[in-house]
Order: sequence, then structure tokens, then C-alpha cells
Amino acid sequence: MTDPMIRLDGIHKRFGALEVLKGVDLHVAKGEVVCILGPSGSGKSTFLRCVNLLEPPEKGDIFIEGNDICKGSGTGEESWKLDFVRQRVGIVFQQFNLFPHKTAMQNVTLAQEKVLGRSGKEARAKATELLERVGLGDKLEQYPERLSGGQQQRVAIARALAMDPQVMLFDEVTSALDPELVKEVLDVMRELAEEGMTMIVVTHEIGFAREVADRVIFMDQGVIVEEGPPAEVLENPREERTKQFLGLVLER
Amino acid sequence: MRNTRLAAVFAVLLLALASVAAIGCGGGDDSTTGGGSGSETSGGSGGGEPLTIGSDIPYPPFEQGKPGSYTGFDIELMEAIAEKMGRKAEFTDTSFETIFRDVAQGKFEAVVSAATITDEREKAVDFSNPYYLSEQAVLVKEGSDIKSLEDLDGKTVAAQQGTTGLELAKEKLGGSEIRPYPEGPDAVNALKAGTVEGVVIDAPVAQNAVEKSGGVEIAEKVPTEETYGIAVGQGETELLDEINKALKEVEQDGTYKTIYEKWFHLEPPKEIESETHEAE
Amino acid sequence: MSEFFHQYFDFTVMGDHFSEVLEGFFKNLLLFAVVVLLALIWGLVLALIRQLPGKKFAPLRFLTIAYIDVLRAIPILIILLLISGGIPYLNFIPKDIRIPHWFGQPDPFWYSVLGLTLVYGAYMAEVYRAGIEAVPGGQFEAARSLGMSYGKAMRHVVVPQAVTKIPAPMLNEMISLLKDTTLASVVALGESVLVSREILAESFNSSAVILAGVMFLVITLPAARLVDVLIKRNQAKVSRGAHIEVA
Repeated sequence: MTDPMIRLDGIHKRFGALEVLKGVDLHVAKGEVVCILGPSGSGKSTFLRCVNLLEPPEKGDIFIEGNDICKGSGTGEESWKLDFVRQRVGIVFQQFNLFPHKTAMQNVTLAQEKVLGRSGKEARAKATELLERVGLGDKLEQYPERLSGGQQQRVAIARALAMDPQVMLFDEVTSALDPELVKEVLDVMRELAEEGMTMIVVTHEIGFAREVADRVIFMDQGVIVEEGPPAEVLENPREERTKQFLGLVLER
Repeated sequence: MRNTRLAAVFAVLLLALASVAAIGCGGGDDSTTGGGSGSETSGGSGGGEPLTIGSDIPYPPFEQGKPGSYTGFDIELMEAIAEKMGRKAEFTDTSFETIFRDVAQGKFEAVVSAATITDEREKAVDFSNPYYLSEQAVLVKEGSDIKSLEDLDGKTVAAQQGTTGLELAKEKLGGSEIRPYPEGPDAVNALKAGTVEGVVIDAPVAQNAVEKSGGVEIAEKVPTEETYGIAVGQGETELLDEINKALKEVEQDGTYKTIYEKWFHLEPPKEIESETHEAE
Repeated sequence: MSEFFHQYFDFTVMGDHFSEVLEGFFKNLLLFAVVVLLALIWGLVLALIRQLPGKKFAPLRFLTIAYIDVLRAIPILIILLLISGGIPYLNFIPKDIRIPHWFGQPDPFWYSVLGLTLVYGAYMAEVYRAGIEAVPGGQFEAARSLGMSYGKAMRHVVVPQAVTKIPAPMLNEMISLLKDTTLASVVALGESVLVSREILAESFNSSAVILAGVMFLVITLPAARLVDVLIKRNQAKVSRGAHIEVA
């Protein structure tokens, strides 16, 4: 058996007195799409942010392509680890976090030039291709404040993809959007999944999870409660907490 | 965007600067209210009333010390004079530049502050008979090759704001950069620190600096026509007469000589005695 | 009453000494210009050091915070007196640096430059800090998650945004600085206050001092209005931004 793309073992994280993650394990194979569901405060976003060390875990191991990125200090603060992780793992945030002082184009080219050292021309070509792919070929020179939330989020996806990541993390990327703008973002993600991108998606969109995910994980109170193929977890949950949660979500 | 905004800031500053030149000396003339006059002198010279004195302290050895325990030649002399007048001298520390204006406005009754009697000043205040004959000194660093006032021409020279020493420096040292410091000791410190090459200042102050601080010496004493007087508001004839009378008494009973020797380590010059006896 | 006006608003005195006071005022402006330039840079350096992350930089951060706190807590007057009176004594420094006469300006000018830069660098570091802290944390995270180093994230993402948030408070500091250049009179720099007080000592009339005040007014008053305009514009931007966030 080959190493999984990502392997997390026994991840612990606390904020002060609050223990947010109480030993979470997750293996993700190359090309797999994993959706993480759970009530707010379940620790799912924190867990996702541990994967690319935005929140360094206190305890536990993270392997990316078989490389232990928490070895040693366990805080993952050493720069080779950060470089290693962040060249392989892209993330898209709930609040988009586009750079407001840069155009859509510049948002996508900035890190290409400053981190990967691509030439301006190269970076622009890549950015144009990606922005066209997410349906924003006509918005290249717009500043974020001129774009709708859905458009901003698609720029953010293009920005992450420009770094040629092996894995993409999505942190409730549609939660801040008006309902009519959700679909355009999910469509882009669906396409990405079809192209074989390895994805970990924290979401409340049950429909998306059912349709796109290879595996669904239900988290609550800092632990994984239940996991399995979407048909199993979403249609026939075994655990009481999962049933309760799905009942609440589907009622809406 | 950001750059244009910063540029705008500087543009405004530059514009405002240009308009200073254009506006000229106008402005601020339409306010007709506010500002009390307060030129009333309080009380007469009745027995026991303290005699209020303005003085720019420190200016050793003429005036020095902390509030409540001021001392120095001027201070002790004035205390002696006040005693003869049957009053008690009460000193207020004040800035030398405004001291004559303040006595004219009645902030205090008299000024004793190593003040040279000049025609200019006599337009604003009245002076007593001279109580001290002053010389200016050129103070330099020990071992300096500057031997006279003339040698200082072209060099950087310090003096105290609003003093005769400053006027003398401006008059005689056309090629020099002359720096007026707020207090005499600041000027002496600048000399010791080496940022100026000479100080033109009252001889007793210079002498005091030589003794107390060291590292400096008097290159030349420049005789001036200067005499020090006690200043009172214009038209305060009665007060002035009392002061002159008391000054003469202090002179005659030997108090003056005692105080002079105590502070200057020298005998008082003969001239000053005759001058203090001069009729008003 | 008329005595008061004669003492402070004698236009003849103002007219007679106009060019002298103006020359002094130019000294204030020159001092201001040099210090603004240096303090803007020095303040940014301090603010960035203060923001450095990790244990490794803890001592440097501590020193910077101590510097900023102490310099903000001491009267500028004392710092100027200490510098102008003290530095010349430091014999291990070459004389040309200890007692500088650069670009035709005497040493009191450069002592004032140093003193005001040290203090205003600390003031301005606080303005920068407020600007940096006003940039949402997500911006830094986004930059870092794209693989930018701490320095690159600051330089390309955080600082450019922080800078847009600071013109109003920075301009306020500049107004204070321009006024504080008059403190250089205590180290015998021939700026407008020293010049006008000399005139006062000669003429027993305070009008020249008022004249100097008017010269400051001509610059600081429009600048103060500009601060208000900038604050209003910034508020408009914030509320617009909030609207978009919701949309």
C-alpha cells in the first residue's frame, strides 16, 4: 500500500482551557474528495486549518506524501515545513480574504511571482487561464470591491490553484454567500473534483457532499463521530448525534 | 491611490508655505474682547507689606538657589535694602525677556536681576541709582588660543537671550554665528561641550563659571559703560526714592561691601561707591 | 485693553520684523521636512520589529516596546537638552559626527533632528501599529497560506493596506511635529520662536511672537481641516466595505 496523500494521526489542539480537537485521525488518498460536516463549534474548521499548519497542532502527526511535517518541535513553526506544506496545500476561506488593494489578476499573480519566482508574463498567463476557467475572464482587472461575493470566492479559488497545489482545503467557502451565489462556487469545486484534485471540504452543503464526496465525515465536540461513503452517512447514519444534526440541517 | 494621497498632503503643506509669503503680516486683528489689563499695583509701601521682586534665576552669582531659599549678590543686597525700608523682600523667578514688561504691568514692584541700565529699557521702566558696575567677559575653554573678543570673530559664539553680552557679540562679531541660549549656564555648557568656542557674558557670571565648573577661563574682560540698577514701574517715584535711600544706607553701613566680597571675592570698585551716592 | 493690543498686536512691529521671523519660520519648516522623512521611516522600522512573530524575536520586540514606551513618556524638551548638551561630550565619536555641521546647518539643527526623530519615530510607530492591526487577520493568513514568508506577507499584503488607514492620524502627528520644532529654541537654533523672543527682548513688544504663531496657523489650520476630510472619507470607505461584506 502506498502512502496516502495526507495522513493525520491523533491531532490535539486547545485554545486556552478549551480543548477543540481531542485526537482526530484522517487519511486522504490522492484524488479523494472528503467532506467534513458537523455543528458549529465541533472543531471541523480548526482541524482543516491544522492540515496546512495555520493552526499548528499541539500533539499528533501530520504526514504529507509520507513526510512528517510535525516532527521535532511538534509546533510546525520551522520554515522548511511551512514551505513544504504550503507549496502542496491550497486553502480557500469563508471570508474570501482577497487582497483588496490588488485586482483579480494581481491577486492571482502576486504569490506566483513572489513565492514561486515566476516571471510576470508567465504568472499572468497562468492567472488568465485560471480566471477564465472559473468564469471570470471578463473581470481580470476588477478590484475585489467591484465583485460579488461569489465572484470574489471564485477568484480566491483561482488564486489558490495558481500555486499548483496537490491538495485543496475549503473552509465553509459558501457560508458567507447569498443563496443565489452559492451554486456558481460549488460548480467550480465540482469541476475541480472531477478533474481529480484531492480535496478536503468543510461545508454545510449536504447536497454537494452527497453528490461530490467520496467520503463524508461527521465531527462533533472535537472528535470524528462517524465516517463513510455519503450514501451511508447521509442516508443511514448509525450514530444518534449524526441523525440529530442531519435532521436539523435538512429541516431548513 | 495611496501615493497620490501622500502627495496631496505634501502639496498642501507647500501651498500653505507659499501663502505665508503672500499673506504678509496681516491677521488676528478683529478680536475686540478678552484680555484683562491688570496694570494696577497692589497695595502701597505700608510697613510689613512684602516687597515683591522679579528676578531671572539662576544667574549665578547674582541670583541662584531654589524657590524659598534664593541667594546671590542681588538677592542679599535686595534683602538688605528691603530691611532698611521696613519690608521683607519676596522673590519671583521670571524670564528675563519679559521681566521689564512685567514690572511695568505691575506683576511685581521691582526688578533686581543683574539688569543693565539702558536708554531702551528706560523707556519702559525707571531705574534706581546704579548698584553695580559691570564688565563683560569672553569665556573660552581652558588652553584655548582665543585671547580676546576680536579673536572670536568668525567662530561660533554663545550668549544668553536678551542680555548685553548678546548685544555686544552681535555688534562686534559680524562674522560669527551667534547662538542665544535661554539661560547663561546653557551657554557655558555649550562651551564646555565644545559646540561653541566662546561665550560673551557678564564678568561675574564668567568668574563664577571658572570657579565652580572648571575647564573654562576668561580670555578677556571687556569694560563696558554698564551699570546695574533696580527697576520699578514708570512713575513709581515714591518707591524709587525709598529704594535709593535704602541703597545709600546699605552702602554707608558697610553691608554692601560685605555682600560684594562674599559673592565676588573682590573689593568693590571705588567708582561704584561714588555712583551709588549720585543724586537722582 | 489698548495696552494689551499694543503689546501683542502691534502691526508696525510685525511689519518691521516680518522677514526675520519668516526666516526663522523657514528653519522650522526645514527641520520639520527632514524629521518627517526620517521619522516616517524610523517609525515603520519600529512598528515592523514590534510585530515580528515567534520566540526568536522576543528580546528585540521587548526592546522596541520599551523604547517606544520610554520615548513617549519623556518630555521632548528634556530629550533635546540631553542630546545637545550630552552628545558633544562623547569623545569616542569623531568630532564631525559629535558636533555635526552638515549641509550648511549648525549642530543645534542636527541635535534637534535627532531628538525629534527619536521621539516622533516612537509616536509614528504607534500610528503604523494601529494601521497594521486594523488590517483583518485573514489577509495575513491568506498571504501566508499562499506560501509567502512573514516578511513578504507584511511587505506585499499587510503594510500596503495599513498605509491606507493611517493618513489622518499620521497627519495629526505631523501637525504636532511642526509645532514641536519650536522646541529647538532651547538648544539655540534660530527658529521663529527664538527669533521672535529676541525681538521681544529688544523691543519689549510681544507682537513678533504672535506673528510667528500666525505663520504656524497658516499651515496647521488647513492641515487640520484635511485631517477631518481624510477621516470622513475613510469612514465612508469603511461603511461601503461593510456593505459589500454582507452582500
